[in-house]
Amino acid sequence: MVNLTINGRIVQAKEGEMLLTVLRREKIDVPALCHHEAVEPFGACRLCTVEITKEDWNGYSNYVTSCLYPVEEGLIVSTHSPKVNELRKTILDLFLARHPNSPEIRQLAADYGVFKTSYETVVDGNNCILCAICTRICDTMGFHAISTVGRGHGKEVAPPLHQVPPDCVGCLACALNCPTHYIEYTFDNNYLTIWDKKFELMVCSRCGKKTITKEFAEYLSKHRDIPFSYFEICDECHRKELAATMGQITSWEREA
Amino acid sequence: MNYRFIVRPNLCTGCRTCELACSFTHSIDNIRGITRIYPLDGGFKDLWVPVTCLQCEDPACIKSCLVDALRLNPETGAIELNQDICVHCMACVAACPFGCSIFDKQHDIIVKCDLCGGDPACAHFCPTKALEWKPIEVKKKKVAI
Amino acid sequence: MHLDNPQQLIDWHDKIIAKQKKIKKKILVCCGPGCLANGAQDIIDKFKTVLKEKKISGFTVEALKETGCHGFCEQGPLVVMEPKGLYYTKVKVKDVEDIIEQSIKNDKIIDRLLYNDPQTDKKIERYQDIKFYSHQKKVVLNNLGNINQCNIEDYIANDGYQALSKVITSMSPQKVIDTITKSGLRGRGGAGFPTGRKWATCRKVESDTHYVICNGDEGDPGAFMDRALMEGDPFSVLEGMTIAAFAVGAKQGYIYVREEYPLAVVNLQKAIEIANEKGLLGDNILGTDFSFNIKISRGAGAFVCGESSALMKSVAGEVGEPRAKYVRSVVKGLYDRPTVLNNVETFANVPIIIRKGASWYQKIGTPKNSGTKAFSLVGKVRNTGLIEVAMGTTLREIIYDIGGGIIDDRPFKAVQTGGPSGGCLPASKLDLPVDFDSLNEAGSMMGSGGMIVMDDLTCMVDVAKYFLGFLVNESCGKCVPCREGLYQLHALTVKVSEGKAEEADLEKMEKLSEMVIIGSLCGLGKSGPNPLLSTIKYFRDEYMAHIRDKRCPAGVCRALITYKITDACTGCMACIAPCPTNAITGKKNEMHVIDQELCTKCGACFAVCRYDAILVS
Repeated sequence: MVNLTINGRIVQAKEGEMLLTVLRREKIDVPALCHHEAVEPFGACRLCTVEITKEDWNGYSNYVTSCLYPVEEGLIVSTHSPKVNELRKTILDLFLARHPNSPEIRQLAADYGVFKTSYETVVDGNNCILCAICTRICDTMGFHAISTVGRGHGKEVAPPLHQVPPDCVGCLACALNCPTHYIEYTFDNNYLTIWDKKFELMVCSRCGKKTITKEFAEYLSKHRDIPFSYFEICDECHRKELAATMGQITSWEREA
Repeated sequence: MNYRFIVRPNLCTGCRTCELACSFTHSIDNIRGITRIYPLDGGFKDLWVPVTCLQCEDPACIKSCLVDALRLNPETGAIELNQDICVHCMACVAACPFGCSIFDKQHDIIVKCDLCGGDPACAHFCPTKALEWKPIEVKKKKVAI
Repeated sequence: MHLDNPQQLIDWHDKIIAKQKKIKKKILVCCGPGCLANGAQDIIDKFKTVLKEKKISGFTVEALKETGCHGFCEQGPLVVMEPKGLYYTKVKVKDVEDIIEQSIKNDKIIDRLLYNDPQTDKKIERYQDIKFYSHQKKVVLNNLGNINQCNIEDYIANDGYQALSKVITSMSPQKVIDTITKSGLRGRGGAGFPTGRKWATCRKVESDTHYVICNGDEGDPGAFMDRALMEGDPFSVLEGMTIAAFAVGAKQGYIYVREEYPLAVVNLQKAIEIANEKGLLGDNILGTDFSFNIKISRGAGAFVCGESSALMKSVAGEVGEPRAKYVRSVVKGLYDRPTVLNNVETFANVPIIIRKGASWYQKIGTPKNSGTKAFSLVGKVRNTGLIEVAMGTTLREIIYDIGGGIIDDRPFKAVQTGGPSGGCLPASKLDLPVDFDSLNEAGSMMGSGGMIVMDDLTCMVDVAKYFLGFLVNESCGKCVPCREGLYQLHALTVKVSEGKAEEADLEKMEKLSEMVIIGSLCGLGKSGPNPLLSTIKYFRDEYMAHIRDKRCPAGVCRALITYKITDACTGCMACIAPCPTNAITGKKNEMHVIDQELCTKCGACFAVCRYDAILVS
């Protein structure tokens, strides 16, 4: 256990824990747009930056992203110092210039008192904030279907060579975890389309309810040793089946 | 002491108190969660089967989770879903052969029975003891000499 | 021949020396990038054919050496004749026969090929007497103009691999680290971290394996020191890396070279193969238990991959994005193993320090900045090229003595050091000693050693705009302050250069710069606003002229200037043809006129006018 001071309060944390984890546990509101527990911390949005110092640093303080900073004994953290707030404001201001139409960004910026960007609005701005949650989740899940492409201001998230991604199984994790809901997908009858790839959905053989995509089910049964028949009926029909089986057994018990 | 969740369908009256208990216990921001337990028609007269997660030993849900969001809690024996890690890919919902990973539309999350962290509300409220949270004595096996 | 023990290396060294003593005269042809671009390869080929045709007694093809960069790129292709040091500049293929006939056969000097000192207007025979060379202190670059690029015999004849032999036979890893620490060697990549301390930290970390990486991803615009070293003296880099590996206990090393340096890749690969073959690299080096392998990893030309953590990701085959270095790469680097990463020049320094001793090295330079530093001196100086000076040499000495002053004797305005991460220093800082700490204090940085000299025709807003534009494209795009902040800073400088900015914008730029510096993830963003901040700091007047008077004093920013033809026009019609928009009209011997509506302010007319009749205002 290590002891640290957060906003004047002494807090205990486990060794090796990241500062943001501790802040979240202590219910201290620090914004973060690129953080997701399923993937390694990244440090792209910089919104979770906090000011840290130590008693023996002779008044020197440093600005670090709490999502990546391992807790240390004797650390003195201020999560809303004037400089930190100014930095968050600047970042949100910069975000607003690039993503003026994103409701999520606008809300967060408004929380920090930024209602209109003070910079030049980027002409071809879209709602992708390049947090890379989608690509990192895709990598963690083992698909590597999409990635960030290019660098600098023109960086974007895309499948390889902007073609239909061969490794995508249509799990939708990228789209569902996008903080600005930028990744588009459509359901059309028994089909799902994402990244310009069309997937057939599994349909419950009893009730006709649509579940995951066929590719995803095949991937899971092949790589995760789950019988493919499990995917052929939906969760509700699975439960009914279980009830019927248990019912049958119980009725035999009653007879006995 | 080890506890075990015991279901006795022949005692179940289908009153659905367990559903209510579960739903209320799993409220988020005062909005009731979806129930993780379903007393379903057992196919015979006056026979109800409370269907809930069996906390399998070789669980398909854990195998299907590609981000390691589902983990066994060794203290309660429950397979718990970490909502912060879950990426909502629905793999566990599709993979569970008993349909006990459930999509909660209300909160837009996937849920499953977590045995209420070691004190299942459904068992508490079951009027007929069809559901019970019971301590079990682990008998030491006799070792052949 | 495979060397199985250190004694064999000594024997081999003696044998090579004996062999080379027989060669009385040597022709050194510079094959640095500058000279190659001007046809050095053709000159070599010509020498070879002529030497084959005309058999000259006591002079064979062996005496012809294709050396690395000799330094004085401005005057290339260069041919040097040893032992006298006779120095021919701007040699052409047709001069080759003359050189052989007159200078080799008859020891005559060809006057027209000699270097002409522009200050005294006198011809100088020996390169040692040229100011460009005489003010330098060559330590790391010493081999460069003297030995065949990829010839291990030449390298060994020049005391190569003696340091490695000494390390393996008589030193403990700790002693190597102590020597490097004592020498005061600091990382030549730009930040100036003490090399000895880096190695010591890495050695202490317990791990199944350690790595040594050489950073040859030299991306600063106008910098080519590492390129010259990798191409011209690859063995010194390999030897330095091998010693580092011995010190930290590494078995595998990587050299990260940018793909834009094809010759460096070829030469390094060749050198690695030769060293492997000779038992100076690979398993059981010189017959001892110590093994070390080196692989070349080629970068695809991303500037950000020069940043250590991005480089390691790139080596591992991932997207080259930096990571936060709260846990440093000497502890957790490549493949999460402790990794020593140094610059090419740093590694090239190592064998010299081991061979000549820490106290010898310490005496060069200044107390906290020992040794020398290589710079590529470019821009508006007379003598551009690759130079090496002792630390603490003043900017004035570099620019006026070595560089020969500003072209056309125009006034000096600024010198840019440290590439896109560095800053611009004005004339008042000319007497600043060039070392890590002084440059940092002045708001610039050492960087890997690019030095761009600017005269009064350079607009500082334009310079800041250029570097910011470079960084907007070269930022990895991972973190917001760098990706979006630099973009907005660039947009603001564009606004200034177009005369659309207000005074408040200047303040806004400074504020945003501060936020980019504290907010960015890696060194690129943290130092990205430096060119802007340093120009605002030292050339605020120029910014104000753009903002308040809507005027570009240097006559560079297109939106703020007009080209006019004055009375001095003789009506020579030279400017009419180059004008891409046909904006210039006029008859022969009559004054021409520029149609301001059509003029795109490209400056083509200004460049061709011989009568200074075109006025930029």
